[in-house]
Amino acid sequence: MTSQDSAPHSVTGRVQPAPILELRGLEKQYFGTHALKPADLAFEAGEIHAIVGENGAGKSTLIKLLTGVVPRTAGDIYWRGEPVGLKTPLEAIRHGINAVHQEVVLCPHLSVAANIFLGEERQRFGLLRHRSMVREARKILDDLGFDLPADALLGDLTIGQQQLIATARAATRGARFLIFDEPTAYLTRKEAAQLFTLIRRMQREGVTIIYISHRLEEVFELADRVSVLRDGTLVGTRNIGETSENELISLMINRSIEQIYHKDSFSFGATVLETRNLSGPGFQDISLSVREGEIVGLYGLIGAGRSEFVSAVFGRQPKTSGSILWQGEEVAIRRERDAIKLGIALAPESRRDQGLCLSLPVSLNLNLPIYKQLSRNGLVSSREEKARADRQIADLRIKTAGRSASAASLSGGNQQKIVIGKWLNHGAKLFIFDEPTVGVDVGTKAEIYRLFSALLAQGAGIILISSYLPEVYELADTLHVFRRGEIVASHAHNSASHEDILSRALGSAPVTSTNAASGDLNR
Amino acid sequence: MSIENTEAAISPRKRFNILFGLTLFALLLVLWLILGLSTTTFWTSNNMANLLRQGAMIAILAVGQTFVIITGGIDLSVGAIAGFASTVVALLLAQGFPIWAAISITLLIGVGIGLFHGFGIVRMGLPPFIITLATLTSLRGVGLLLTNGATISIDNDAFTDFSRNDFLGVPNLFWMVILVGVPAYIFLQHSRWGRYLFSVGSNAEASRLSGVNVKGTIYLAYTLSAVCASFVGILLAMRIGVGNPTQAEGWELQAIASSVIGGTSLFGAVGSVQGPLLGAFILATINNGANLLNVNSFWQRVITGVLIIVIVYFDQLRRRKG
Repeated sequence: MTSQDSAPHSVTGRVQPAPILELRGLEKQYFGTHALKPADLAFEAGEIHAIVGENGAGKSTLIKLLTGVVPRTAGDIYWRGEPVGLKTPLEAIRHGINAVHQEVVLCPHLSVAANIFLGEERQRFGLLRHRSMVREARKILDDLGFDLPADALLGDLTIGQQQLIATARAATRGARFLIFDEPTAYLTRKEAAQLFTLIRRMQREGVTIIYISHRLEEVFELADRVSVLRDGTLVGTRNIGETSENELISLMINRSIEQIYHKDSFSFGATVLETRNLSGPGFQDISLSVREGEIVGLYGLIGAGRSEFVSAVFGRQPKTSGSILWQGEEVAIRRERDAIKLGIALAPESRRDQGLCLSLPVSLNLNLPIYKQLSRNGLVSSREEKARADRQIADLRIKTAGRSASAASLSGGNQQKIVIGKWLNHGAKLFIFDEPTVGVDVGTKAEIYRLFSALLAQGAGIILISSYLPEVYELADTLHVFRRGEIVASHAHNSASHEDILSRALGSAPVTSTNAASGDLNR
Repeated sequence: MSIENTEAAISPRKRFNILFGLTLFALLLVLWLILGLSTTTFWTSNNMANLLRQGAMIAILAVGQTFVIITGGIDLSVGAIAGFASTVVALLLAQGFPIWAAISITLLIGVGIGLFHGFGIVRMGLPPFIITLATLTSLRGVGLLLTNGATISIDNDAFTDFSRNDFLGVPNLFWMVILVGVPAYIFLQHSRWGRYLFSVGSNAEASRLSGVNVKGTIYLAYTLSAVCASFVGILLAMRIGVGNPTQAEGWELQAIASSVIGGTSLFGAVGSVQGPLLGAFILATINNGANLLNVNSFWQRVITGVLIIVIVYFDQLRRRKG
């Protein structure tokens, strides 16, 4: 690490200003375990510095140390050459260090303007100056090129718009050093493009940006330099012009990209689920079928009707017409429990909101769907419960302090393994995975794909919804492309090109630039 | 990730849970020791029996309350239900119903009230605080309407004697705590439904997607709480020998306090049965001791409030460290 840092002048032609923030031997231990091994890193003023690494590689720990959320175990931090404590979030904010988190931490019940000025309200005689704040907020949003209403309630906006507001808020607060943690995970492409514009603009104004993302394409689009973390160790820093996606991946993990999309082929059995001309709110006339041992991929842009379609299949939303056939017989699925009773399992898109009981032990989360199997006369066999949980933890290679640790203490990828893994023992025949690898690192992705194979081997069928084309492309035996609530194309495995599929999903509108597609092609 | 690691890692937490239970128990013993040293009357069998009877009723309320709080809800109506149940059972006995029938009908009314709470929350979408607050005030009203404001006295000696009698030297009322506590413990810690109470309290949506009957779980929690409360109403009628709808005023707050002192989190998904039981007896001891020490009864209320803050604060501290 030091070799890159001590010689920053050699790597670019432009004049290097003094580092705005420098870490020397910074480390963090939790109960004797290194979350971050001693790291030396210097951030240059005004650069966009990307940090990549698998889940649990220490990225969040680094952010927490820089924003004063957790105290460091050892090492020094220099802010503009001066040693600083950064012991509390307030101290970090005073220096101008701010973070924009993946999940928006603002007040949904207040207006956009009120959120922008939260904590720094404009007052006169102790009374709020509402109109002047709305006016100022509108000006800020207009300046930034956001077409967003300043007096709307924050909660009425989409997650992506809220994220933009959070960024605008940080930008107006005199942030000198802004950390983005996976900011585009929930953004549409248009919103992501707006965010990038904003980030570049802030960079021009001299703000230093730390950009954390799983989407390497974004890193190459935005960043000046990139640092890679692996297992709590800073394994390297590169100038963006002097590295490649393959090099970054090999730094992040110790395996090649071909090993990630691992796919076993199974012979297809009987049809598990068939929909005939199924229509409902947000989708029309969907006819498709899923066979035993088959992965059916649903690709499309966000809002193309895929999630709405599976919601109807799972009984979360009523269908308006058409029929659902389960193992050849027409069935009425009115609520989730009807679907689960038939043998349909859904791993939802948002693991925090819909997938996990975060405050409860790993063991309870893993066993939740199968307590009926684990109990006799209503009483749970705790021996069986523990044994199953331990076996799952070992089989799925879930990194946890133990089965009694709360789900919240796990990293995102390991949480996702629970969301998917809890269905393994349930004996469901059809699994619906809605964006199973959002915000999950490459290594965990590979493990999740291996879980798919395990399910297929048991004779189950899978519906895989993904906005990440390589994923559905490589994994799906049959790929349906959704656009505006309809299936616009269907392909067998590897029978169409990426470009073909993408242009179908986008419809007649031509692919205007590589940027427009980047959000989907690379994550 | 080996299983050996798992074993090693969970034991501290388990130890901590036991420790917390023990700490509350130790607190209770310390209180008893102090009161035993500073008063001559505390360790008399009469006073101890009184203390156990006193704590028993709040303890049972607290167990039912805990089920509800674990699901992330609150039941403000338990005091009113107890008062109402004491009135109903007294009226039924006055009408000449046999004891078993009067008790069964009263408990069934409790079931009905609990189901109504579940209905209000699940079907009408009312917040638990609101629906149980509404029941609190209206049940008192219904009771007063039934009795025209009068107190219904109970002449049935077999009924009232039960609360005064002992079994194996321990007051019958305390046995009732065990009668409720042991099944409650098994239900919460070892049954499927107990697991569901926690999962619903932690994340109702995730539970629903995992096939848990979330609505049924909520109905169940409020029904158990209401049944516990009507059972307490019956015990109360036995103890004071009358039925009066204005009795048990403020007991809902004592029940919530006992539960919280016993380690239940008002945010849901954390709680036990033994904790609230200990919490209830700690509160009862404080009241009893204050009486014996001739502390102004107005001060008792202040002391209770301060103690709730102190105990829960220390519990929070410990949790944060853990």
